[in-house]
Amino acid sequence: MRFSSFFRSKHKNNENTHEFPVDLKKSLDKNLDTLKQMLENPNDLMIRVFSLGQTERRCAIVYIDGLADRMEINTNVMKNLQLFAYKENLPAGAGKLLQEVEKELVSVGDVTTGHDLDDAANGLLYGSTLVYLDGVDQVLIIGMKGWDTRAISEPISESLIRGPREGFTENYRTNTTMIRRHIRDPNLRFKTYDIGRRSKKKLSVAYIEGIIHPDLIKEIDRRVKSIDLDDAPESGFIEEWIEDSFLSPFPQLINTERPDKVSTALLQGKAGIILDGTPFALIAPATLGGTLQSPEDYYERWMIGSFLRLLRYFASFLAMFLPALYIALVSYHQGMIPSQLAFSIAATREGVPFPAFIEAIMMGMTMELLREAGARLPTTIGNTIGIVGGLVIGEAAVQAGIVSPVMVIVVALTAIASFSIPAYSVAISFRLLRFAFMMAAAILGLYGIVLIYIMINIHIVNLKSIGVPYSAPFSPTFFRDWKDLVLRAPITMRPRRPSFLRTDDSKSANKGDSSQ
Amino acid sequence: MTRFEYSDDYISDKEILIAVPSIMIGVGILSVPKDLAEQTIGSDGWLPLAAGGVIVIAMTWLVARLAAKFPQQSFLAYSSKITSRPAGIAFTVLLSIQGIMLTAYETRIIANVADQYLFDRTPVEVVALAFLLVVVYAVSGSRTGLFRLNMMFLPIILAISLIVMVFTTGWFEPGNLLPVMRTDAAGFWNAMNQSTFSYIGFGILLFYTALVKNPKNVPWKASAGASIAVFLYILFYLICIGVFGNLVTANLQYPTVELAKEVKIPGGFFERFESLFFVIWIMAIFNTTTMAMDAAVFALNSIFKKDRKMPIIFLLAPLAYLMGMIPEDINEVSAFGTFTSYYGAAITVSITILLYMIAKLRGVKAND
Repeated sequence: MRFSSFFRSKHKNNENTHEFPVDLKKSLDKNLDTLKQMLENPNDLMIRVFSLGQTERRCAIVYIDGLADRMEINTNVMKNLQLFAYKENLPAGAGKLLQEVEKELVSVGDVTTGHDLDDAANGLLYGSTLVYLDGVDQVLIIGMKGWDTRAISEPISESLIRGPREGFTENYRTNTTMIRRHIRDPNLRFKTYDIGRRSKKKLSVAYIEGIIHPDLIKEIDRRVKSIDLDDAPESGFIEEWIEDSFLSPFPQLINTERPDKVSTALLQGKAGIILDGTPFALIAPATLGGTLQSPEDYYERWMIGSFLRLLRYFASFLAMFLPALYIALVSYHQGMIPSQLAFSIAATREGVPFPAFIEAIMMGMTMELLREAGARLPTTIGNTIGIVGGLVIGEAAVQAGIVSPVMVIVVALTAIASFSIPAYSVAISFRLLRFAFMMAAAILGLYGIVLIYIMINIHIVNLKSIGVPYSAPFSPTFFRDWKDLVLRAPITMRPRRPSFLRTDDSKSANKGDSSQ
Repeated sequence: MTRFEYSDDYISDKEILIAVPSIMIGVGILSVPKDLAEQTIGSDGWLPLAAGGVIVIAMTWLVARLAAKFPQQSFLAYSSKITSRPAGIAFTVLLSIQGIMLTAYETRIIANVADQYLFDRTPVEVVALAFLLVVVYAVSGSRTGLFRLNMMFLPIILAISLIVMVFTTGWFEPGNLLPVMRTDAAGFWNAMNQSTFSYIGFGILLFYTALVKNPKNVPWKASAGASIAVFLYILFYLICIGVFGNLVTANLQYPTVELAKEVKIPGGFFERFESLFFVIWIMAIFNTTTMAMDAAVFALNSIFKKDRKMPIIFLLAPLAYLMGMIPEDINEVSAFGTFTSYYGAAITVSITILLYMIAKLRGVKAND
């Protein structure tokens, strides 16, 4: 077991307070005492001792209430053992008897034999049930988890008009099952790790052998193995630990609640990372082009999908540049605005006491506050925030002459644009960059904006996601992948997987031609 | 099993195809129609422009051919092999001086044009410094990243050129192109000089070909890239003459930017298109500048055994900045530009031909 080190280190830390043996003893009472001592006998530790029928040998069932399925234990384990005890010709030796018991319990669940305290404690804390038999220094571990989980529901953070309505849940097994249900390929792999020195959560790297590039999976494996945390409550911890550059504003792994999105990514030659306890899976590697794609692009017909994508590129342009352009045009390049419009802007700005930059920062921050407040509140109260923001602040600020109506339009348009970006993590980094653009525009006008734009491009071309350039397939250029980048070509015209991922099996569709 | 070959330190010949026009299209194209119109009559300038272009394409091929003979070897390595190490170092230093001068010149021009078309109150020094800092940021990143940047910006640059050309066709008067072939031999000769030297930058191939894993096709790809630049130069020249006429073009400082001024976007939601054109053209100038500076850094770094990239950058950047700020007025700036291009062309061409001849005479091969 990988985590045996945990117990050893615990021994070392608590050397003075606790002293208990790490190996199992032959005596049942001693074993149970050790277990109680280690866990400090909590009230959810259930120990049921009984004697095994005619053999008179004492036997104990140990589980943690709430983690193990109590019904199963009662109806299957207990009952089976009671019936078993009245069989004829039971062996007298304790070791032999344990083997017989093991055979008997195979019908209940997966049974393994544990040899030391680590095995026992690990099994117990994962929700398994332990069966001790007096006189043997071994323990049977019956995998019978059963705890309450949330039912599968619609993913809240990524709603689609057309597409599957199911989202991941907090239950790791449910999540892997959902992926298996999408891809019934025998080559689908779940490489499983235990994450967290103390929390010991399951983490699976899902990929399809034969499609994904082996180097990619090797690199992900290396990085996941390097994770050394007490606990990973959310996949964000994993993301931050294994991403290439923590200085980047861009997310280098995509998070999603949608099983269909993960399985599509797997079929493209990417890997999915599923962590126990969170409905957010990660997809690696990510590219800039990929962050602006939504599964719905593929579910709608290609023209609509392409249009939606174009719209999103336009939206991200607005979300990043619009307030900055307003500042630059109003404060430096008034000549670039057509005279009619320039006059009306000037008229509305009359009496506004602040320069355009202060105005934009004020309104921009207000917008961010409204968004943040709206996200934290329950939906019913959330609507109130909309009214407060839209009417009270927007309308009143203009009436009071603090901001100009044009500024309100600009901020509103920017907000709408940033909400139309499908991935929340990308939208938020775009919003962050918007402030950088605004500052540059205030200092150097359009020149400043273009310099910041160039800097962001420099950053992007140097950025990698698990070794894959973030700017692929724009540059390094893979023209074949451009069919599914800004536009979304019809499915019959895209018979290949993305070539920038260097997949082993490049064909994803067959139109009847046998030529490769 | 294919490897992630694009993730490592190598580039493909495709990226050379993009890099060559990226370095050639810079500030030169903004003022070349003026220089040619001064020397020639009517639209005769296209002829020396095309002839100069052919020479440059041929030179590009030759330079790339020389470098491609020694695959994955740095310029210093193969020039030392052909001549001797001191000579190789001397060549490297001479070529990197060209890079520094080009960086300085481009930085100065960008500041001057910004001063003219974007803002008149901000000091030139600040504009130039901001630009140079961004260039330093780019150069301190990965080298393959610069080639990717070229690929990111070149389509934008070509698109804005196309927009300018399409939207000025309304003002294009074929009569302005006449008369044809009235320029005398001296005019042609001068114009030829002007045009040939305006296409500088192919010298980078001496260094960057070493980054291409399989450089067999590099000469052809590089020539194709150079012809993109030549084609764009000729188109811009002809449209400038067609729109403004010879006389006006000769008296405009930056005819290409003025051309963008004529653009009227239908619907009229945008005025003074030349500001926007120039803002986008900054990306073109940026590409030229980073490639020039990085080539200099790359060259000088090859002299040292250890990696001294960052110290070299921090040494060269202030040097380039000071050099760019020395010229006091527009005439001195253009004299500096002329000197830069003459120096660059002379050094690149003479070193290439020299190395070629010695290599032939001594029969030096890549594996020796």
